[in-house]
Amino acid sequence: MNEKYLICEDSLEGIFTGIYEAYALRQGHEHIHLQIGEEENLRLFAEYMYIVPDSVKTDKVARTLKTRLGEDVYHSLCCAAASCQPDKGEAIYRTVVDALTAGSGRRVMENLKNPHVARCFELARFTANEAHLETEFLRFQELASSGEEGVSVLFAKIGPKNNVVPFLMPHFADRLSIENFMVYDEKRKLFGVHPAREDWYLVTAAEGFSPEEADWSAKEQKYQELFRAFHRTIAIKSRENRNLQRQMCAYRYQNYMVEFEQNAKN
Amino acid sequence: MEVRIAPQMSVMEKLEILADAAKYDVSCSSSGSSRKNDGKGIGNTVAAGLCHSFAADGRCISLLKILFTNECIYDCRYCVNRCSNDVPRATFTPDEVCELTMEFYRRNYIEGLFLSSGILYSPNYTMELICETVHRLRMIHRFQGYIHIKAIPGADPMLIQRAGYLADRISVNLEMATAEGLRAIAPNKHRKNILTPMRQIQNGITANKNELTLYKHAPRFCEAGQSTQMVIGALPESDFQIMSVAENLYEKFSLKRVYYSAFVNVNEDRELPALAGGPPLLREHRLYQADWLLRFYDFKVNELLTEDRPNFNMAIDPKADWAVRHLEQFPVEINRADYHMLLRVPGLGVKSARRIVAARRFGDLTFADLKKIGVVLKRALYFITCGGRMMYRTKLDEDYIVQNLVYQNQMGKGEKLPFLADGTAYRQMSLLDIPAFANEINQISQNNTMLSGVG
Repeated sequence: MNEKYLICEDSLEGIFTGIYEAYALRQGHEHIHLQIGEEENLRLFAEYMYIVPDSVKTDKVARTLKTRLGEDVYHSLCCAAASCQPDKGEAIYRTVVDALTAGSGRRVMENLKNPHVARCFELARFTANEAHLETEFLRFQELASSGEEGVSVLFAKIGPKNNVVPFLMPHFADRLSIENFMVYDEKRKLFGVHPAREDWYLVTAAEGFSPEEADWSAKEQKYQELFRAFHRTIAIKSRENRNLQRQMCAYRYQNYMVEFEQNAKN
Repeated sequence: MEVRIAPQMSVMEKLEILADAAKYDVSCSSSGSSRKNDGKGIGNTVAAGLCHSFAADGRCISLLKILFTNECIYDCRYCVNRCSNDVPRATFTPDEVCELTMEFYRRNYIEGLFLSSGILYSPNYTMELICETVHRLRMIHRFQGYIHIKAIPGADPMLIQRAGYLADRISVNLEMATAEGLRAIAPNKHRKNILTPMRQIQNGITANKNELTLYKHAPRFCEAGQSTQMVIGALPESDFQIMSVAENLYEKFSLKRVYYSAFVNVNEDRELPALAGGPPLLREHRLYQADWLLRFYDFKVNELLTEDRPNFNMAIDPKADWAVRHLEQFPVEINRADYHMLLRVPGLGVKSARRIVAARRFGDLTFADLKKIGVVLKRALYFITCGGRMMYRTKLDEDYIVQNLVYQNQMGKGEKLPFLADGTAYRQMSLLDIPAFANEINQISQNNTMLSGVG
């Protein structure tokens, strides 16, 4: 029998619709593969199917996964789907098959003997770790208020490898519930927006948008300098260890953080 | 309340002086309490804690760690703020502390406030100032993030009780492992004054737990528990003494954390060691490793050290050191051994042990599976079997394993030390650190002395 490749869009919706269609084919799972995006070299003796993301099918898959596998597994699968790695579609699909069809069920993420589950676990861990680090290292800057007096807006720019904004927003929405804030993912041109005391949502930035042009509020410079001073002073000279610092907080995060001197605006 | 301040000093100058004065306090964790935001102010706390930045020394910055004042009536030899030191002095006002905390917090610079203080006038006066500041932060600014307060030894129990209801964590520094050491080095502090508030906080936490089981919305007392800190290397205490004290603190005082701080001779005091090679970082590292073994790996101090072997082996970590001296318990079969035995295998941590226990329900594990699970095979391979086989042909022999582990370390492929790469303050390893070699040298020197005795 020919191998069948389902080509999905690179999103949670794309992958879940792909999983729905794979089950809908009713041909077993041995010869079906899920692939994110087009392939450069087509395979011989393989069939390709293009999957159009569909919100109804996505909801069905999400509901099944949540009820049959539990919130924890569902969260892991979502983390894996937000990964930057191209093989995530196959890994997630095979993990779902292992859980629902081979019967490992709610314990599926523990079945690390299965290479696909192990891969899915690895991807989910990478995303979850990066999301955790971004909750730590992300820096808000207060923008100059336009329009109404006294309305302050906080703005943070990040450049993560994986699509972590959806995982960051619940944390900050709880913590800064009374603030207006935005988190902007530079790589994906994606905004997480939280108006004070309301629910948060995601928006894609318009073409040619550059947030660098926004002005800071009057106090912003002062607090950045204070924090830089604090960051410099708190280090113990006789224990200086730049390697350890870099290990704990990689350069790719440091570039977005106000306390590192090279990022100071003059 | 009247607060003495130098009026011409800016917040920036004060922050530099008072952060500098606070930097030798080790504790910077923000873990242990989990609290949602109530929608009326800013802040919440996360059980695992968050480290917001890392300073040039590689230590995490989680909290705004400052002293309220660095004026102090005490004269402790190791402390940079001792009254006989000629350093610039500064004092915050409560409002300045609140404003800094709030503005830093909403920019996601910090996870909360760590407020300690030198003793201004008297312990009670100082404790009251701290309480007042934190009270304002909680009640007026409605700050719901993490707060860590130092309890001032000798302060009134009522004040400490009040602080406990405002803060997530309280700590009292033990400073020295032994009472005699403390007397010699900090003439104004007494062991009793340190242990009394510690006991009080412990009792407060227990009482609060009982209260919370009855009344869900009872106010929380010191939710993230208490911690303490000991200075390492200022006095000739052995690791055995230090670890025994730590074990006692965990068991009898239910402490969450004990911190060890490698001694830095800031005052160049005559009575204290000069430490040419910088602070004893490797020793501090070994103590932390052992501390983890006590808290997460079910080890007891007397398994790791004894009166006759009172110090840790600097060449290999405490767990490997224990394992090579108990080879009768190895090799361990990965597919059968219980969780507690798995935890004792070098190269396996809490996470990998848990994953092994969960994954082997689905079938026997192989060495390839272990690698995916995250086991450090190059350390574990001497101590484990998978399906009855070892990974390579190795000898179950103490000297052989030690030599291999030490060799890996020397090649930079073994144990990851946090400060080896830079070379800073790292003690040069000598062949004498290898037990087998040291024995040989000892024997030779013994023979020599015997010979010279004959001569």
